[in-house]
Amino acid sequence: MEEIVLAFIASVCPGIMYNVTRRNLLWVGISGMLGWITYAWILEVTGNVVFSSFLGAIIVGLYSESVARILKAPAMVFSIPGIFPLVPGIAIYNSTQYISENKLLEAANTGIQAIACSAAIAFGILLVSAVFRLLKRSTKKETA
Amino acid sequence: MKINQVMDIAIKAGKILLTNGSEIYRVEDTIGRICRSYGVDAECFVLPTGIFITVIGKDGEPLSYVKRINERTVDLSCIEKVNSFSRSLQRNTMSYEEAINTLDSIEKEKGFKFALRLLVAGITAFVYTLLFKGTIQDSIASFFIGMLIYFSKEKIARAGIFRFFEHFASGLIAAGMSIVAVKLFSGLNIYRIIISSIMILLPGVAITNALKDALHGDIVSSQFGIAEAVFIVVSVSAGVAIILSFGLGWI
Repeated sequence: MEEIVLAFIASVCPGIMYNVTRRNLLWVGISGMLGWITYAWILEVTGNVVFSSFLGAIIVGLYSESVARILKAPAMVFSIPGIFPLVPGIAIYNSTQYISENKLLEAANTGIQAIACSAAIAFGILLVSAVFRLLKRSTKKETA
Repeated sequence: MKINQVMDIAIKAGKILLTNGSEIYRVEDTIGRICRSYGVDAECFVLPTGIFITVIGKDGEPLSYVKRINERTVDLSCIEKVNSFSRSLQRNTMSYEEAINTLDSIEKEKGFKFALRLLVAGITAFVYTLLFKGTIQDSIASFFIGMLIYFSKEKIARAGIFRFFEHFASGLIAAGMSIVAVKLFSGLNIYRIIISSIMILLPGVAITNALKDALHGDIVSSQFGIAEAVFIVVSVSAGVAIILSFGLGWI
């Protein structure tokens, strides 16, 4: 429960730094919160960081694309602060630290983990927005 | 309305989008939409560093306009406003002065005050330390370090030494200040403090935009975004690593 509140604040704050308009801030927070809940839950069940980041990003993507349609704002307003808690800061840092300690094997290990996590997040967002574009195109054809 | 006035509006809207961190396909869409709503057929090509528009005028003569973009920040509210501006043009067009004034006011808008953003940067670092299971003492240390990093990053970016230098300097400051904090107050966890304070520097926007551009078939711009993200990460970690190489022995 504590973590959920923290994840909420952790995406509202980047939202303020990126100048999201006031009426959208609440929705931005919920975006990060949902992403983090999914991430933490899947991580507990499977123990796979990359897969959990991927699913977390998918939830953030789904949420932001749907809210964007309701509130008539670009989806990136919600997805960019929303994926903030998922970004693999720990892995990036660990890799840096190992390099400075001259433990290159461990550095490569954590570095690959960082790359895989960011690729998973990006791909999750990409997949959702691809699906939404497809849906939009098919509804347009029906109405036209 | 004259064709060059339409192009003026389109270029201005595109420039606001691009300098505030929009995806490339959104800039192209918006320019196309503005031109179409005034009944002008335009061909536009947008790169992360510039906008090119060409229009065939009434007498068959091509008119073109190139706009170079140098500064790039992130301001999501500007993007949202320009987006709804271009959509409202589609429903009913405005006069030239009205449109330019609207865009001017979007561009001039200040958004949140610097002091508030500074405070928020501190809170971000504070919250992330707790989220990464740090203690309250760690969080307080990273609160101050996060504020310091944001402050120096904004100031260095304003001074415009060269791109990515602000990230390198922020990495240096993050690691240096964390080592000082650990040295002053024993029992702090240097690892959590550094991670949470560099969270605000990581290039989430660049990567997400790059992949969205790739989805829209704009491979050139997506390469640019990915390269930008890699440069940012490398410069932050180079800063951190340099300090850690010296500092870890000293603690």
